[in-house]
Amino acid sequence: MVRDYNNRHALDQKLRGTPKPANADHLEVSHWQAIATVLAHAGLDAAVERALSSTPDLSLRYCGPGEWLVVSHVDTPVGLMRRLDMLCGTQAHVVDQSDGRVLLRLSGPSARTILAKGIGVDLHPAAFAHGGSTNVLCGHIAVNLMASGADVFELIVARSFAESLFDDLMAMGRQFDISSAFSE
Amino acid sequence: MASLITCPHCGVRPKEEFAIRGDASLVRPAPSASDEAWHDYVYVRANPRGRTVEHWHHVAGCRRFLVVERDTVTHEVYSVVDAAAAVRGAER
Repeated sequence: MVRDYNNRHALDQKLRGTPKPANADHLEVSHWQAIATVLAHAGLDAAVERALSSTPDLSLRYCGPGEWLVVSHVDTPVGLMRRLDMLCGTQAHVVDQSDGRVLLRLSGPSARTILAKGIGVDLHPAAFAHGGSTNVLCGHIAVNLMASGADVFELIVARSFAESLFDDLMAMGRQFDISSAFSE
Repeated sequence: MASLITCPHCGVRPKEEFAIRGDASLVRPAPSASDEAWHDYVYVRANPRGRTVEHWHHVAGCRRFLVVERDTVTHEVYSVVDAAAAVRGAER
């Protein structure tokens, strides 16, 4: 039997219907972006980090020693892979995760309070500074968290956990009347 | 149980992010060692009261193996080091 392959976003089911206006606290689901994991070969952590951070439109998220998630909002997945291969071809393993991960952006004055319900890390700006990123556990789901603005956090989660994390975040933010939508 | 572990790569984290993988003080016997030595290494474990050295895996964080020295009575954590660094330190 032949089936048509439809490229659907992992949260299509959750965000059906006409979009409602965004409230003060808003969960935005990024629709199209390129994500890749980069794992530096042994001993080449610093060289790979230098190569990656030399490019301003690549957003680097720390996962562990010598391991990063690279997010690009301007490249296609294929384009990002090509660029990363040129940047650190023989120094690192690069794996495309554009369809394997989902990026969620939580913004608003209560963003920290909402996240603190599920994350056991100090999110105060003095401890988790703007631009900082790390892998954390949100409830029972491992996510990569980044403080991408004063009151803006970006979470990257494995596709198969996206619906569950989305439900958790909406429950955590219900007290603050959180809204959600796909980004434009 | 010690509830906060200071991961050398990620900072202070709750213990829920880790998986404990057992005693880190065991030394693998030589391949030609006796069956008794291998049996002890593979199966026999102490259940110590007090200071212990264990392998902890930071599953939800940096995914590195750590060597955690902690007290099973007072829950105090004495030291946390990356397992690879601990091996390198021991060889030196």
